[in-house]
Amino acid sequence: MHGFHGRLLHVDLSRGSASWHDLPERRLRAFLGGIGLGTSLLYEHAPPGVEPLSPANPLIFTSAPLTGFIGDSLSSSHFALELKRTGLDAIVITGRAPSPVYLSLTDGHVEVRDAEHLKGKSPAETEAAIRSAERSHGLRVAAIGRAGESGVRFATISNEGRHAGRGGAGAVMGSKNLKAIAVHGTRETSVANPKQVDTIVDALRERSLGSLTDKYRSIGTVANLAVFDRLGTLPTHNFQRSTFDDAEALSGETLTENHFSRRHGCASCTIRCERLFRSLRGEEQRLEYETLFALGPLCEIRNPETVLEAARLCDLYGMDTISTGGTLAWAMECGERGLLPETRRLGLGFGSPEGMLAAIPLIAAREGIGALLAEGSRRAALDVGGESAYWAMHVKGMELPGYDPRSLKTMALGLAVSPRGACHNRSGAYEADFSGAVDRLRGDRGRGALVAASEDFAAVLDSLIVCKFLRKCFADFYGEAAELLTHVTAWRVSDRELRRIGERINIVKRLFNQREGWRPEDDWLPSRLLTEALPSGVAEGVGLSASELREMIGGYYEARKLDANGFVTEARLGELEAGVEPCQATRHGAY
Amino acid sequence: MTDRSGEMRTQGMPDASAIVLAGGKSSRMGRPKASLLFDGEPLLVHIVRALSHQFSEIVVVAAPSQELPFVPAMVVRDQVAHQGPVGGLCYGLKAIGSEVSFVTSCDVAFLTSRLISYLLSRIPDCDVVVPRWQRLQPLHAVYRRSVLPLLEGQLERGELRPVHLFDRVRTCTVGEDEIRRFDPHGSSFLNMNTPADYQEALSRWERLARSNIASSAEPPVTCTVQLFGVARLLAKTRAVSLSLPSGATLSHVYSALGATLPMLLGRVISPEGKRLSPGYACNLNGLDFVRTTTATINSGDTIFILSADAGG
Repeated sequence: MHGFHGRLLHVDLSRGSASWHDLPERRLRAFLGGIGLGTSLLYEHAPPGVEPLSPANPLIFTSAPLTGFIGDSLSSSHFALELKRTGLDAIVITGRAPSPVYLSLTDGHVEVRDAEHLKGKSPAETEAAIRSAERSHGLRVAAIGRAGESGVRFATISNEGRHAGRGGAGAVMGSKNLKAIAVHGTRETSVANPKQVDTIVDALRERSLGSLTDKYRSIGTVANLAVFDRLGTLPTHNFQRSTFDDAEALSGETLTENHFSRRHGCASCTIRCERLFRSLRGEEQRLEYETLFALGPLCEIRNPETVLEAARLCDLYGMDTISTGGTLAWAMECGERGLLPETRRLGLGFGSPEGMLAAIPLIAAREGIGALLAEGSRRAALDVGGESAYWAMHVKGMELPGYDPRSLKTMALGLAVSPRGACHNRSGAYEADFSGAVDRLRGDRGRGALVAASEDFAAVLDSLIVCKFLRKCFADFYGEAAELLTHVTAWRVSDRELRRIGERINIVKRLFNQREGWRPEDDWLPSRLLTEALPSGVAEGVGLSASELREMIGGYYEARKLDANGFVTEARLGELEAGVEPCQATRHGAY
Repeated sequence: MTDRSGEMRTQGMPDASAIVLAGGKSSRMGRPKASLLFDGEPLLVHIVRALSHQFSEIVVVAAPSQELPFVPAMVVRDQVAHQGPVGGLCYGLKAIGSEVSFVTSCDVAFLTSRLISYLLSRIPDCDVVVPRWQRLQPLHAVYRRSVLPLLEGQLERGELRPVHLFDRVRTCTVGEDEIRRFDPHGSSFLNMNTPADYQEALSRWERLARSNIASSAEPPVTCTVQLFGVARLLAKTRAVSLSLPSGATLSHVYSALGATLPMLLGRVISPEGKRLSPGYACNLNGLDFVRTTTATINSGDTIFILSADAGG
């Protein structure tokens, strides 16, 4: 077999056992790697209705603790490459160790090791401690921080400063008493036609250095902030507005001029989009647009120093910055409107740096108000009651990213129907809104096909593991990717087959959610977005009506060939040769 | 959103649709015609945009697995690939909601709305209106949906050329003299089959844009260009004000911007200063993303220059 090892490791932490299994070539061809293979394995290994933080829930791409639905999360760089060198294509981890442990995996050998001494350490400290203890050159580590240990539902799994950020995979890892995974391998992956692969990769590398990626190479994703403000799509004050008075102070351009320290990139990357900024205290901190928006305008924080420090704390404890910002903004609004008196005691209000910086460690430790906020805005609102659910800006329990759906209507649909919740990565639906090919302020049924196509494209990128920032460097992505995959695997893949794989992955994701109790009302947006028009900026007065959203969702179900209520039909499964058993919709208490 | 194409939306044609046949092999061109860049956007988008000023319903017919750019139109796929224009016509006519359709291909960049209106005006007396410019032009013609069964019959018999239809229905031919009243040089029929045709069309488009501006005698317009991201970092300024001749288009904005801020040339603006580099986008007044360079600028307009990629 070329391109894959065809092997899977299953570790049961409850029993302290490990077993190796074959991964049939047919399955790999049907789902590729990454998100696709993870989705297929999850469907197989997760018992229907499994509780996200229970021992039985497998850590592959898990049933996310934040949403109760499918939770897939990507993190780039050297860890994944090293994992492949161990001779495996996937690891499935189930069970729960009786005390904190870490897994040490070297080629065909796996050991469960004590991690009591690593408790409370940050992912970076954990990584350094394990590397030092193992004394193995080339060892790579993925670890959780304190938030993962304490079950914060938006905890991350981190490696080399990168994070599998969204959905709370870190909480699943913590629930298994698994602090880290250390991998080191020497096994090369066989490639069918290495010379042709090199030629294609060289050409792609050349294209990646052109103007199509200039933004990411020169300024990074933080460039979005000032532009989004002008376009009236920068979520501010917990989505009460979509423009921010101090956008210039927090803009990527200003940060670059005043705080830029250095660039960094994933393994072998030519773009190196990561930006490290230096605070006045001299500390370096990675910052992306999503972090900047969520810990900045969304909470009315105007000072770059505060955002840098808040981001540092999130990384230190291993917490998703978007959900941290979204949940804090919800708490701030609760306080503003007379609920949640603890916010006043803590000084946690819009625009208050002290309150925000005090609250983040409490969330990580689940102390005081942090115990409530560690549940994410949806669960916290259920607990607080009153009108607070109206202020919880989430889809399926996942807090919204930094694109206001009212002024980006294709994106609105993408966020509403995404299987993992309010996600800006599992489709690039905003791309249509920014293309000029559609009216971004007015939705229509035709957006359904655009969003479905965008999700399929993203699924293939995320399963081959091709960086999304390279996506515009392909003249014909499916054709070129099929050629590349053919040269790696000798499978003779066509562009048509790749498209079908994208569809298949997304259908199985929906099927998984269906098994976990998905209902049509879960494909929806927060009421605020359907009630309040934008009060300022170029899109002032623009809203999003329920009928407009319903029409777009109808178009999406049609394009996906789902039934009228959005359920996957047996016929559709058969058509896509998904290779999974259909399931009846169930309700296992996803919340 | 505001129509910035420079053309007025002509009288509504509620009972007429447009069909764009895009499923050809593009073998002589060597790459997909639909995606050829024309005036800063894929050719297919350029054509659909031009038609959208005249038709409320537009259908694009593509091959089953053909890669298409985002296009503001309904896309239908051939059930069987490459059955020629008759196959595309069948699938297009099945998909449209109107009795009458203007049919064109995806390689004609110089459609003339007045000529199309004239062809449509002739349909009440016949089933097909087809212009003759050097030869019959079945892919710049108007068809009634009622001819669909005959076309399906042709498809079954393997008669893949539309001209076989013309003897069987009421066909009205529009001659060159009539055509010249609306399109003196027959630009509507300039299709692109080879890379040389493509280059010639690009040059022609630029000549047209230049002549449009040269003929203007109106007072100048003043606009503001706001820079974001890389453009701002390079120029070390957030905004510049430009004074341009009346009738100026975005192409003139880019030229003037390149002259004012030469550090943008070759990076944000193409080296010759006529368009944005790939990866950059233009937004008018915070509302419309405009990909053509021929959109006209009004006094008081604010033009944003930003990255075309909004990934975060």
